[in-house]
Amino acid sequence: MGHRDRRTPRVAAPPLPAAGGAGRGAGPRVREGRGSAGQRAGRRRRRLCVQGLAHGQGLLRVRPSRRLSPAPVPSPCPAAAAMEVSHSLKERTIAENSLVILLQGLRGRVTTVELRDESAAAGRVTSVDAFMNVRLAQVTFTDRRGAVSQLDELFVTGRNIRYVHIPDEVDIRAAIEEQLQAIHRVRYFGGRDKGRSEFPHAKHK
Amino acid sequence: MVEQGGGGGAMSFLKRFPPPADGVRHQQPDTEALLAGRSLGSGTLYIAESRLSWLENSGVGFSLDYPTISLHAVSRDLSAYPREHLYVMVNAKFEEETKEAPMTEEEGDDSDDDVEPIAEFRFVPSDKSALEAMFSAMCECQALHPDPDDEDSDNDYEGDEYDVEARDGMEVDIAPVVAGQFEDAEVDH
Repeated sequence: MGHRDRRTPRVAAPPLPAAGGAGRGAGPRVREGRGSAGQRAGRRRRRLCVQGLAHGQGLLRVRPSRRLSPAPVPSPCPAAAAMEVSHSLKERTIAENSLVILLQGLRGRVTTVELRDESAAAGRVTSVDAFMNVRLAQVTFTDRRGAVSQLDELFVTGRNIRYVHIPDEVDIRAAIEEQLQAIHRVRYFGGRDKGRSEFPHAKHK
Repeated sequence: MVEQGGGGGAMSFLKRFPPPADGVRHQQPDTEALLAGRSLGSGTLYIAESRLSWLENSGVGFSLDYPTISLHAVSRDLSAYPREHLYVMVNAKFEEETKEAPMTEEEGDDSDDDVEPIAEFRFVPSDKSALEAMFSAMCECQALHPDPDDEDSDNDYEGDEYDVEARDGMEVDIAPVVAGQFEDAEVDH
């Protein structure tokens, strides 16, 4: 008879959201590590990694490295300062681990987004989500044949973006750091939309 | 009134189907749909979480899956197009009566045609003030469909840690799904 001197709780995935429209492939995936909870206690992940720039897929590309929570609930943009952070744990995590965080720091700035089909949209960045979907306002759109038109608002999917221009006046490092700080404020100091601020103690205690 | 043989052979991608019932974020009646400049008639646009659908008043229409939609926009520039509308660009081909490949034919570039088929839809609501709501509803629904090709988390996973925002590194965070899940755990007192 074996003797186990530590518990290895099995992790239960959080229940999927009941609402329809769960993102494709974005179901919760919580995985257990090799060690026990005891070993990991006190160790906190503090990793910022650049997930890489994929050639031909865009200058700044999201590489989600974790699927931690149910599909992101799209949140309306409340009137907010430029330091607005996603309400979704999953999106915050993705942003923290990829250069999309830089694009999120461009909120409010005017820039140009070049699309895969060679068209381009120049306008003011309303928002950028963790999947690099970009919403622009007051857009000058040049289609792939060169025809120019004005669009009040434009939403382009991350998949179809080739380049996002970073305006010259943007200090890239500062922009990234500010966004990270905004995420950390939400994470460590709570707030309405902070993900999972409490944990039930292990039931078998 | 636009005379359109929607159910006939003209636009073969038009089908009859019931309007979506679930997850409809926005519904806009009295909306004309145009594909590459050709009117498909007047009907109702349904912006649902699962797909974008438009049904002509006669009951035929089409649906677009969000992953195929590369961008959408509100156009109020009357010099570019004479009516305010919701512009939707789709990475797909749609059959047209004239069998004219939109745009790419002029470039005479076959490879371009294969790689990047593009279809341009315009949805012109009779109520122009609804364009904002239509645009926002589409943004919300698009966000529900992240690009599956981008999900390489399986490859990146290191098997070590997963929850950045866990307070003290505890793994267990949710009530067990399986009743008695921990009953076989051995506890030292």
